[in-house]
Formats: sequence, structure tokens, C-alpha cells
Amino acid sequence: MPLLEVTNLRKSFGGHPSVDGISFGAEAGRCVALLGPNGAGKTTTLRMLAGLLPPTGGSISFGGDPPGTDYRRQLGYLPQSPAFYSWMSGLEYMIFAAKLSGMAAKEAASVSGAVLERVGLSSAARRRIGGYSGGMKQRLGLAQALVHRPRLLLLDEPVSALDPIGRREVMELLRDIREETTVIFSTHVLHDAEEICDDVILMNRGAIAVQGTLARLRAEYSLPVIRITTAKEDKAVRWLEELRHKAFMEEASISDGRAVFNVSDVGLARRMILQEAAGLDIPLLQFEAGSSTLEDLFMKVVGT
Amino acid sequence: MSKLWTLYYREMLEAVRSYKLIWIPVVFIILGIMQPLVTFYMADILAASSNVPAGFMDSYEMPGAAAVMAQALGQYGTIGILILVLGTMNSLAGERSSGTAELLMARPVSPVSIVVAKWAANFTVLIIALVLGVAGAAYYTVQLMGGLAWGAVAAASGLYALWLLCAVSLTLLFSAWLRGPAAAGFALLLAAGMSLAHSLLPSRTAWLPAALPGMSASVLAEGRVTGGPMISAALLIVACIAGASLLVRRNKLPN
Repeated sequence: MPLLEVTNLRKSFGGHPSVDGISFGAEAGRCVALLGPNGAGKTTTLRMLAGLLPPTGGSISFGGDPPGTDYRRQLGYLPQSPAFYSWMSGLEYMIFAAKLSGMAAKEAASVSGAVLERVGLSSAARRRIGGYSGGMKQRLGLAQALVHRPRLLLLDEPVSALDPIGRREVMELLRDIREETTVIFSTHVLHDAEEICDDVILMNRGAIAVQGTLARLRAEYSLPVIRITTAKEDKAVRWLEELRHKAFMEEASISDGRAVFNVSDVGLARRMILQEAAGLDIPLLQFEAGSSTLEDLFMKVVGT
Repeated sequence: MSKLWTLYYREMLEAVRSYKLIWIPVVFIILGIMQPLVTFYMADILAASSNVPAGFMDSYEMPGAAAVMAQALGQYGTIGILILVLGTMNSLAGERSSGTAELLMARPVSPVSIVVAKWAANFTVLIIALVLGVAGAAYYTVQLMGGLAWGAVAAASGLYALWLLCAVSLTLLFSAWLRGPAAAGFALLLAAGMSLAHSLLPSRTAWLPAALPGMSASVLAEGRVTGGPMISAALLIVACIAGASLLVRRNKLPN
């Protein structure tokens, strides 16, 4: 029984489809990454899930309730660039948010303090949000999404705008949070998804290109692949072009002295290529044989 | 109900922190006390300007206390309304353009309670400003001109408050739809349009909320009060709140 069930969800703006009939489910306790390039419809999807945009078509069902039931009480939402009232202090905002989600005043105050401490903002809790840095605002955004203990957390690009240190901090928090609640987060950085997620939904141009558990996608889409970098000499470039026509070659892309080959048999290909390279005295700079990653899958989906 | 209170508390906190709760009443107090002071010292002011023809002031008659009070309230119909509209215009438009509405609307709150909280907060500011302004005007009027009928002053202020509240409600309605300055412009235009219609065709438009300022002045001169403008003003305010709620339900995201 999935916590969230999305069926044929569609949204178009002025006739142009932004999300074009996507269906997926999120099991309770899982972490789902909504992956895709800019403009794939991730933000629109999350906004529809958060009840901020009415879908053009399709249905969203939460916790087995009939579609259309208001589940915002159970929802934590962090938009791409959260905006706060700059004249409020972090703690004031948290209490405000907690009360609006139905908490009593006393509980709101104590929980707010605890959540701020958890995201590392307790020393700044009484300062005005206007003076917070980008990373602090993002952590406050995460805190306000968590304060009412939601069953589902929707995070829109939670780490994209942060510097490496801020990114690290938020990722650590997410790793922690995903133990307690169901998380759906969007990102265009595949590495983030691989780091903490169980399931991946890869979106492109408003549709789901691929979806499944991370493990399954890895197994299914990792292809035997060989990467070669040579010095930029005519001889080397000609040699790389000739390799295209080998029997083991399934797909080849060559540019600027760099080649990526999908091959049918890594062992055979490696032996042949290395022998030839040695025989012809090709100035090899790099040679790598192994499996293609999801990054390649991503590029393949996005590129087409 | 407790959510409505939470939202209202936030609005009032913002009014205090942004000094709106200070500068709007200050402007109202200045407007209010200027009228009796200027009227009373008119002769001295003109004399001090030295180039008044001889005998010019002979025909000047000091108006009665009630008339001065009515003029003081009249000040709120122009500058007062402008100040209130400017103070209200970003209530909803600002939340939308800054993006704070997105976080607000992701929580289980109804658009009606958001709009009602904002309306009530702006109403509170209006009442505080008007009560202090009227008190200042009445104090100087009594000191300089003579006694006032307190019941009439209260009734006249109440009628004026209703008219000002119409302008504030209109601004809130447009603020749910347009950007702040445009919302202020439309609200002022509509209020001015109603006033103009009323001054051109007073008998046919006696039921308009724009009749309220005139009625307020006539109450001070012991005139009579009709219910029509009050009812239409109440209906207009309710319609504005309902319309704003519907628009807020639709426009949640920064545009």
C-alpha cells in the first residue's frame, strides 16, 4: 500500500504540457529522487503534490484516501528558494509554521526549539531571518518542513543552490531524516540521488523516462563500457574512428580525442584495443574499462 | 479559529515591526489636529503673511466646533485614504511576489482565514489611527472652539471608518490579484469614482458607500442617517473578502 499514489498526473500551462501524464507511487519510509534536467517538470510535479497547483488532469491519493482529500497536515514542503518573513526570528517563524499545521502553542514552542537545534540553528534562533546566509535559510526551510512531523516530505532541489559545505550539511541531515519519514526530493544532480535514495524517477520533458529502485536501474542500465583518452594527434584520431567498425562495438561516441565505447564483451574489447594501441604506438593518455553509470543513462535520456 | 488568531498575530507583529502601527496613526493625528489649529489661527497666519488687503479678514467668521470637526474628518477622506491604501496594497501582493505565500499555502490553512486575518489587521490599524486622530482633533476643537456632542462625534467617526474600510477592503481585493502599486491605483480609482458619482448625482447614488463621508458630516450638524450606504458598504466589504479569498486560492505562486 503506497503512501502516495499518483495516477496519470498532467499539468499544462497555456496549452503547453509541462507535466504530461506521469504515474508513480511512493512507499512509506522510502526516499524517492525525482531526477531530471531543468524544465523536465520536477518543480511543477512537486507543487501539484503540495497542493499549490491544481492538476490539469489525473489524480493524487495520499495514505489510501480518495483523491482530493486535503493531506497538507501530513505534508512538509520545501520550495526551491524558500522565502521567509525577514523581520521574524527563526524561532518565531518555526512557531508560526507549527501552529498553522495544527500544533498547540506549548508543543509548537518546544518542538520548534528542538528542530532548530537539530538543523544546527539554535544559536541563530533568536536572530532575524533577514540576516541569515543562504545555507542557514535552506536549513531553516528544512526545519519548517519537519516541525509538524509530516508523513511525507517534499523537497524541491534542496541542495542545488548551496556551496559544497552547505550541501554536505544538508545531505547529512537528509540522510538522517529519511530514516524517519518518506521523502520525495527533486534534483538535477545524479550524485545526490545516488547518495541517499532508494528509488529514482527520471523525468524528461514532462514525462517519466525511467523509474525504479536504484539497485534495479543500476543492474539494468549498466553496460560494459570502455573509455579512452588519447593525445590529440591525427594518428590517434584515425585509430579511434577505425575502432568504430570492430565487431564487438555496439555504440561509440568520439570527440576531441576522447571516446566512449559500449561493447558487447569487455574482456575481448580490452585485449584487442590494448594490443592495437601498443602495435600502432598510439599515444594513450587514459584507458578505463568497466560499467557505465547512471550518469550515462541520464545523459542518454536527456540527450535524445 | 486558533489558526486565524495565529495569522492575525503575525500580521500585527509585522505592523509593529515595520512601524506601520506607528506612522499611520501619527499621520492621522497630525491631519486631525491641523484642522482646528489652522482654523483657529487663520487670522494670525494671514496677518503674519503681511500682504493681506485691509478689511479682508473682517468677513472671516470662526466656524463652529461641529463644522471644524467635520472638516477634520474630511481630511481622512483624501490623504487618510491614500495612506491606508498604500499601507494595505502589499498585504497579499507582497506575500505572493516575495514567495512567502508558497510556504504559507503549503500548510493546512484556508485562503479565507489568510484574507480575513489580513483584513482584520488592516482594520485594527485603521481603528487605532482614526481613534487617535479623532481624539486629537476633538481635543483641540474643544479647547479652541467650544463643546462637541460626543455621541455625534463617535457616530460620525464610525461612519467615516466604514468608508475608509471600504477603500481598504477594495485594496485587499486587488492585492490578491495585481501587484501592490496597481492594486492601490485601482482601489483609489474605484473609491474616487464612487465619490465622483455621488457628488454628480447625489439623489440617485444616495445608497452608495461614497455617501458615508457626507452622512458623517451631517451627523455632526445634527442631520439624519439613512441605512442604505451602511448596508451597501457592508456588502462591498464582504464581497471584497470573498473575492480576495477566491483569488488567493488561485494565485499562490510567485508570478
